[in-house]
Amino acid sequence: MINKLLLCATVLVAGCTTVVPVKQKFPEVPQILMEKCEPLSTIDKTSVVFSEFLSTVAVNYTKYHTCAAVVSAWQDWYRDQKKISDDLNK
Amino acid sequence: MWIINWLPEFLVHLIFLAGILGTIAGFVFGYLPLVNKYKLLIQVISVLILSLGVYLEGGIAEKQKWELRVKELEVKVSEAQAKSAHVNTQIVEKVVTQTNTIKVKGDKVLQYIDREVKVFDNTCTITEAIIKAHNLAALNQLPLDEQK
Repeated sequence: MINKLLLCATVLVAGCTTVVPVKQKFPEVPQILMEKCEPLSTIDKTSVVFSEFLSTVAVNYTKYHTCAAVVSAWQDWYRDQKKISDDLNK
Repeated sequence: MWIINWLPEFLVHLIFLAGILGTIAGFVFGYLPLVNKYKLLIQVISVLILSLGVYLEGGIAEKQKWELRVKELEVKVSEAQAKSAHVNTQIVEKVVTQTNTIKVKGDKVLQYIDREVKVFDNTCTITEAIIKAHNLAALNQLPLDEQK
């Protein structure tokens, strides 16, 4: 009987690992950064005038600059979020 | 410790206090006739109770320390989440502004082409090879003779 009581007492006072109930949620990325870059425009005709050709080139440059802005924002997002995360884990 | 999770805190203090009182009674007041009769039994039991009490008190102190750390961490995490949301807002604003500026500038360039370059439409001939080269570059494709 005493042995059983001692066993119960030992189980009750036994230390055990406790999971810390605080979780750091991975930050959500703004939807605007998840949009894919537009594919570059092509000329679907066999002959075009010079201004039309140049307009297509200019449109493609605009697409590039838009995509570059998003990539740059991704880099800023990563740098800033990493800093916040690093500060939290200090 | 499991027992600490369901045992009321005052009971732990009570066990500890009982251990102290029992130990004092067993070791200091052993000369009293009533205590003297069960002196050894009181000493053994009270030392065991005191040990359990000290152990449980230590457990409570440790638990409180962890709870405090959890609270500190919760505050830090919520601050970090607020900062993170602020960063997201700033980045979205920046991208929207930049994208609009790029679009406006692009439109201005197209207007410029319409206004200033159209006059060269008759003098500059765009051959099929030029269009093909442009499309290959836009699609990042190899020319046919390079594909072999």
